[in-house]
Amino acid sequence: MSELPILSILLLCPLVAFLVTLVLPESKATAIKAVNAVAGLVTLVLSVIVWAQYDETAGGYQMVEDIPWVADLGIRYTVAVDGVSVVLTLLNAIVFFTGVLSMWTLEKRVKEFFAFMGLLVFGVFGVFISLDIFVFFFFYEVAVLPMYPLIAIWGSTRKEYSAMKLTLFLMVGSALLFPGLIALFVESGGQTWNLVALSEPGTFSEGFQIFVYPLLYVGFGILAGMWPFHSWSPIGHVAAPTAVSMLHAGVLMKLGAFGILRIAIGVLPLGAAYWAPTFAFMATVGIVYGAFVAMRQTDFKYVIGFSSVSHMGIVLLGLNTLGIDGTNGAVFQMFAHGVMTALFFSAVGFIYDQTHDRDIRHFGGLVGQIPVASSFFIVAALCGMGVPGFASFWAELLVFIEALRVFPLLGIAAIAGLIFTAAYILRVLGQAIFGPKNPDWDHLVEPTAWLTLPRIILIAVLLFFGFAPSVMLDMIGSVTGGK
Amino acid sequence: MSHPELFCPEFALLLGALLSFACAAIGTKARTAWLVSLAAAIITVGTSALALPYQGHPFATDIYAVDSFSQVLKLGISLALAFAIAISQRQDSTRASARTEVHFFFYLSALGMMMLVSATELLTLYIALELSAYGLYILAALHRRERLGSEAAAKYILFGAAASAISLYGISLIYGAAQTTYIPAIAASGGSPLLIAGVVLTLAGVLYKLAAFPVHSWAPDTYQGAPHEASTFLATASKVAAVGLLLRVLSMAGGNTEHLRTMLIVVAILSMSVGNLSALFQKDFKRLLGFSAVAHAGYLLLGLLSFSKLGAAAAIFYVLTYVPIVVCAFLVVAAVSHNGANPSIASLAGLYKRSPFLGLVLLVAMFGLAGIPPTPGLAGKWFLFSAVIDAGHLWLVLVAAVNATISLYYYLLVVKAAYLDPPGEYPDIKLSPTYSITAFVSVALVVFMGFYPAPIWSMASSAAAVLF
Repeated sequence: MSELPILSILLLCPLVAFLVTLVLPESKATAIKAVNAVAGLVTLVLSVIVWAQYDETAGGYQMVEDIPWVADLGIRYTVAVDGVSVVLTLLNAIVFFTGVLSMWTLEKRVKEFFAFMGLLVFGVFGVFISLDIFVFFFFYEVAVLPMYPLIAIWGSTRKEYSAMKLTLFLMVGSALLFPGLIALFVESGGQTWNLVALSEPGTFSEGFQIFVYPLLYVGFGILAGMWPFHSWSPIGHVAAPTAVSMLHAGVLMKLGAFGILRIAIGVLPLGAAYWAPTFAFMATVGIVYGAFVAMRQTDFKYVIGFSSVSHMGIVLLGLNTLGIDGTNGAVFQMFAHGVMTALFFSAVGFIYDQTHDRDIRHFGGLVGQIPVASSFFIVAALCGMGVPGFASFWAELLVFIEALRVFPLLGIAAIAGLIFTAAYILRVLGQAIFGPKNPDWDHLVEPTAWLTLPRIILIAVLLFFGFAPSVMLDMIGSVTGGK
Repeated sequence: MSHPELFCPEFALLLGALLSFACAAIGTKARTAWLVSLAAAIITVGTSALALPYQGHPFATDIYAVDSFSQVLKLGISLALAFAIAISQRQDSTRASARTEVHFFFYLSALGMMMLVSATELLTLYIALELSAYGLYILAALHRRERLGSEAAAKYILFGAAASAISLYGISLIYGAAQTTYIPAIAASGGSPLLIAGVVLTLAGVLYKLAAFPVHSWAPDTYQGAPHEASTFLATASKVAAVGLLLRVLSMAGGNTEHLRTMLIVVAILSMSVGNLSALFQKDFKRLLGFSAVAHAGYLLLGLLSFSKLGAAAAIFYVLTYVPIVVCAFLVVAAVSHNGANPSIASLAGLYKRSPFLGLVLLVAMFGLAGIPPTPGLAGKWFLFSAVIDAGHLWLVLVAAVNATISLYYYLLVVKAAYLDPPGEYPDIKLSPTYSITAFVSVALVVFMGFYPAPIWSMASSAAAVLF
């Protein structure tokens, strides 16, 4: 274990970027972007170091820092990582760094944009590493709220409506979390908010677990895009600017799934067992429904938005199997989907910035006009279909294997959903990327080397974990107990 | 009066009152009077902070308690006073003829509030209550547009007088039941039904001060019609004093709290819901803040109705952190206000461009009221909800949390106006140094307490320990 408080340093990076951004004048746009890019790079390096330093054989929570925060109430700033947090921390750093690079061409209110974005990233890091329920919720709320201005100011397509809807949906989730989380503290005797202590078997009676679990699952599930509370998510994706879509789908929705895994299932396993069939059913509906709706969309971003509902359904299904492979697959899918969706939005954002059009029917043969940019889109699409060689293949495979074992009928239905997934993705590819060439877009230009960089990073990550899934599974397995 | 040092905060206030009265009597310029009052207010804050550890009973009979409960709340009141006076630098919403005099009423009213949180005997309590109210009655009437001001004051006085009469009747019942006017003795007398009836009636005057349902309807009108600085004072200091008063009055019930609790649950739910739902439709920013204050009275009651040390501490914590948050909001009101007119929400348009710092202040205020970190609004709600769940009312937290979600809608509408809407015709705003410093101090306080609530919590906790 390192003596250096590496997790706190990691956490402070985006906060420092936020403060520097606040101090810099609006006119120094490039300096602001540079500061945030550097912060992104530093967090990326740090999270790789965290990954390298984490001892997979020892497992458990490592690099623990523990300081009293509100001592009288037993609230402590306790941060630590386990295998799952290591993976998600890396994901957040990747999306932060590539997100900043993708917004390099931003000209409108640069200072405020990066300030809000820094705050959001700060909150997300905090959630992934905190072990105290109050601190967890504190960061959770820090992460959620900046979405409102980010979408409402810099977004497109009914941005004010979407931003408000998104925020209110997520706050309804928080409204369920408030009683659920505090009940854990009170019921356990009012001594500790520490998740590890609360996870001790026998802390909560089965009746209590069954009563409180839905509050937590649905509260977090809303943020994870669970059907039928998903409708904020696609329209939020559509309205948000590129980097925000990347963060939103790439990381923010993972907060919900992470909350379910660490708090709802982690602390209330008996409740989870009781409710698993119900929520697994809802997750499967999400998979199939998301794919179905995606088939009918004409807007690039709506397709990706509904595909996110579908893919997050896979995560939730994996979690609800409560098995080792299912959980491994779910966490892997969280990571793979995060990177893949970031790539998707980054590719679409690049096209939209030039054309201000996202209607699939208006495009055709983009591969002949902008081959490099199109190839990014194609890679993301292949990954979205779960083609072997990409990270999501392994993730989905694991989830489906476990699902077939635990809920055979739901497993079959979910796999059938994959066919629709292939259908909607191939439809987009066939129409916009490969179809008959539309001469209106002959003037489109390829991304500069600088703008290519973030996409290359994302693709490299997808391929790396596609060909070396054991690196990822060893890390996640240190928590779940399987490889 | 054996220990004069126990009266430090009151003496500081009295000094301020005399100085501002002298300014008014000599007829100095409004600006000189303002400077003198501000200096005295800052001295009061310092004195109140230094007086935090003092404890004792300065009078031979037990009518006035100086303990950590009263001292913490006195610090809150003096902070609110200083902020309100700082905001009164721009007096264009105040009637021109009264600009030199207003500060005297601030001090008088603050003095009443300080006595209120120390009073442990019913008659003392009642006199302090009236003293704190008279200053506010006058302040509320001083808006430069006479009709608006008169309406605000008339509503405030009529409601106040009625509520106060009901309280007085309650006090007489309490005396009849317990045969004493000393609050600790009443609390020990066993909580007979007559006593509980008396407490319930006394609550009328207290809930009025807190602006809770059903005696809330003055709040939006008076917030809207009073001069900006008076509204600020009303929204902050008055709330702090009301929490102190409420805790004292409720303590009289002794252990017999069941029916009181049922009543307070109903009052809390109705205050939150009525406040939040009415606020959804407001166009005037000050009026919106008035309804939001009703909703926050409901949140505060959550802590009080749990009748526990945790609940009392949570309520005190909430109201202490509420002061700088509301100051941020009213600072924006006063800064945006053109010629003293009330700013509509629409007139906040483009604030991010007209004055980026002021936009930030507004953002902090709205997030603070909505309970979004890194403001102490989240910690405050968290502590209140903890107390409620500890008392066994999980569903009540659900109601409150849903209410918080509703409130987020109108707070975000304000943020939207400031950050999304183009400035249009509205001119840029240049903050005076005083305003900049006040804004900076209040934002810094909010953010500090948001990130590190521990010091305020331990203050609130030690204050609550006096009662439980």
